[in-house]
Amino acid sequence: MSSVPGEAGAAQSGARYGEVFDRGYQHYEGRREGRAHAVRALTLYSVRGALGIKKRWTAKIIPIFIYAASFLPVAVIIGIRAFVGPVAEGFNYSSLYVALSPLLLILAAAAAPEMLCDDRRENVLPLYFSRAITRGDYLLAKIAALGILLGSIAILPPLLLFIGNTLLAESPLGYLRDQPDEVGRILATGTLLSIFYAAIGLVIASFTARKGVAAAIYIGFITIETAIVEALANAITASWRDFLDLISLGNVPDRIINWVFGGTSAVGAPPVGAPLQGWLYLFVVAGVAVICGVVMYQRYLAEE
Amino acid sequence: MEPHRDEPVIICRGLRKAYGSVVALDHLDLEVPPGAIGLLGPNGAGKSTLIKLLLGLIRPTEGEASVLGFDTARDGIQVRQRTGYMPESDCLPGDVTAADFVGHMAQMSGLPARAARLRAAEVLYHCGVDEERYRLIREFSTGMKQRVKLAQAIVHDPDLVFLDEPTNGMDPQGREEMLELINRIHREIGITVLLSSHLLDDVERVCDYVLLVAQGRLVQHGPVRELIAGAGDILVEVDGDAARFREALVARGATVTASDGMLAVKHTDDLVFDVIRDTAADLDVALRGLRIQSRSLEDVYVQQVLAVNGGSDGVERAG
Repeated sequence: MSSVPGEAGAAQSGARYGEVFDRGYQHYEGRREGRAHAVRALTLYSVRGALGIKKRWTAKIIPIFIYAASFLPVAVIIGIRAFVGPVAEGFNYSSLYVALSPLLLILAAAAAPEMLCDDRRENVLPLYFSRAITRGDYLLAKIAALGILLGSIAILPPLLLFIGNTLLAESPLGYLRDQPDEVGRILATGTLLSIFYAAIGLVIASFTARKGVAAAIYIGFITIETAIVEALANAITASWRDFLDLISLGNVPDRIINWVFGGTSAVGAPPVGAPLQGWLYLFVVAGVAVICGVVMYQRYLAEE
Repeated sequence: MEPHRDEPVIICRGLRKAYGSVVALDHLDLEVPPGAIGLLGPNGAGKSTLIKLLLGLIRPTEGEASVLGFDTARDGIQVRQRTGYMPESDCLPGDVTAADFVGHMAQMSGLPARAARLRAAEVLYHCGVDEERYRLIREFSTGMKQRVKLAQAIVHDPDLVFLDEPTNGMDPQGREEMLELINRIHREIGITVLLSSHLLDDVERVCDYVLLVAQGRLVQHGPVRELIAGAGDILVEVDGDAARFREALVARGATVTASDGMLAVKHTDDLVFDVIRDTAADLDVALRGLRIQSRSLEDVYVQQVLAVNGGSDGVERAG
């Protein structure tokens, strides 16, 4: 190991010829942050990784597609409304969320394995766990990272629509007065959907080191589970069959959207579950989050 | 917190770790001083388990351990703030550059983002990864990956670093450079190094204190110099009837074997020297040479581990 940089470099930097640079080891005397800093660092690192930043171009395809599919329709509608006038009146928050739900599913299916599977497959976990963090901190960072990603899809496009609607209204202030809780509804729906999709995506990803397998299981699980529950609900006539809708995971986002924004789903009235109160689905989301969190924690507690 | 030079950096009291019926570590009692410490033992001896226990990554079944004054089971976070760890296995993500990854690991150890980037560049340079640090890790050779692993272990300037088989899979030249690097970390930079290896030569060249473990038990520990010096046989060269001299020594209770034309008398205690002197005087035999046979670490290792393993030393000789 040379301790003297090249002479050419010295000449370029204007240093005296032959000057010796001391690049001896220096002990670190600077500030040291705590666990919260490490969690933040891991969160940002995981977000960057899932977006494919500083990775090869193939890693960027799905994120670019998802973001384009989320924002472009909203931007186009606002643009047309701005230049042409009121069009696509039926394009409201509820229908936007119904369109965003499959995108959230795809993003969670792609990003959750990206965040957890690589660390296990490449055996990076021992390095993380040898740092001054707990396993809970590690999971918290991963949950936060996926939450940020999903939240950016579940909250920002509807917010963009809200801003567009406000600016295009004849009286923006009047629009804001008439829609006092619209932002709250957007934040609530976006947060609940993000938690729901993130929890299931991460818990499945925590059981395998293979990203493709995790993504396939995630989409397959939600699709098949929903189909089975719906078939079961349609096959029985008992009065409690409506409650089966609570465990029909594929329908939960739709029910949440209906509950928060009112009205029936843009994809049609639910065959079962319609009589159930919307707040019950809040408990479903909370239950899913808690169960997935506990399972994941136990999974990583056993990890050496 | 810089440990005092005389204070033990690692203390274990009755440390035991069992996985069901399999005992990985069995009642370890030891105090390890600062310096370069070799953790030597065959594969499966319990070395990696001991490191994980010391890092607070797993809990002991019984007993307790402290590292740099912190209880490993209770204060794992504080232990890990002040220690670094280089695992034996491949543990680097392939899709990021060395600079990014080591910088990220510095941040994970609490360094602010800018300081982490600077520190990563500096430590990678000292580990022999300079311009290459902007290349993806998956393009690196095994030797370069080992250097990156070492860099991430010391990027936060720890007081103690655990190196688990750091020369694993390296070619002879890479191994030389890695051992030189580890030497520098200890002697120039002043970081206490615990080097776990099944390669005797690595430990002998780098370490000044050795822990020998076999089948989960600590079979020998102490400064290398003492281990290889003290208990070798006494080599005696006589001018005269060596056979008669040998018989006389045996008759006086000494254990004697022939060794390269000399007699090797077992060094049970220092009274043996008196027996040799008196026997030579009584038989009128001139003593031409008398010295303690020096032992290599390998001799100590083989002797101790064979006793535990019942014949197999499980060790690899380098080179």
